[in-house]
Amino acid sequence: MATATARGARSPAGSSTRTPRVVSRWNPANAVTASRFLTLPALWWAIDRGYHQFATLFIMVCALLDKLDGLVAKIFDCRSQFGELFDAITDGICYGFGLILVAAYGWAPLLPVVLVITMGVTNTALRGVYIRRAGRPVNYKSYAMERIVAYTGYLIGFATAGMQVVYFYWAFVPIMLVILVHDGKRMLVDPVPPAEGARA
Amino acid sequence: MTIVPEGVFHWFLTLVTGGFAGLWVIHDLVFLIRLAGADRRDPLVADKWFGYVLGMVMGLIGVLGALRFNGVLAG
Repeated sequence: MATATARGARSPAGSSTRTPRVVSRWNPANAVTASRFLTLPALWWAIDRGYHQFATLFIMVCALLDKLDGLVAKIFDCRSQFGELFDAITDGICYGFGLILVAAYGWAPLLPVVLVITMGVTNTALRGVYIRRAGRPVNYKSYAMERIVAYTGYLIGFATAGMQVVYFYWAFVPIMLVILVHDGKRMLVDPVPPAEGARA
Repeated sequence: MTIVPEGVFHWFLTLVTGGFAGLWVIHDLVFLIRLAGADRRDPLVADKWFGYVLGMVMGLIGVLGALRFNGVLAG
């Protein structure tokens, strides 16, 4: 069975301070993460039918499951580097898909959506460079990035609910740009923290 | 097709956005104050400081958006 190394206390840029242990990839937290994909067809259905409240409900369920998987990982003590990467990839797919949907159906302004997705793809590429620099599969994390990911979930909800859409979308762009520049410097230039266990 | 009446949905959105954003501003402000005096040359401290400040900015955007949504602010 596939396994991954567990993560302990969090520190920036994906380092850890606890002794590593082995965790199966087939664990409850990753199951919750994977279940987020089930909300996407429902979201598409609701947007296609013009059901704003249902679309908002489905993107909220997707966002709440994102919070729940961390809780489940804590309860079942099954945190892993794979789980964190899987969570980040799932965020990208779910929120990227949601943004494309709301833009495609004219529920959100196209230009900021294009800018947000472009910055998201750039961030993913930077993470790839960071993994190469680290020489191990590590999920780059920052406190600012955690917050902007939550805002991204809200962005789709603002579009499905028709709540101050232009205001929230254009306010998002400069903030994400600042975070991208800040985190980009850390991923490309700053020293990579030692591998987990190295400091234990 | 709706789940709840539009008026209820409106106030739900206000609460989920404005309420949560307001709490988040306080949350990050408290954590930022707790960080006062810490060495910002430490990468972890610098990351937290940056994250909390940006978190407060995002929270303020949410509060302002909720106010605009309810016609309190122009927009």
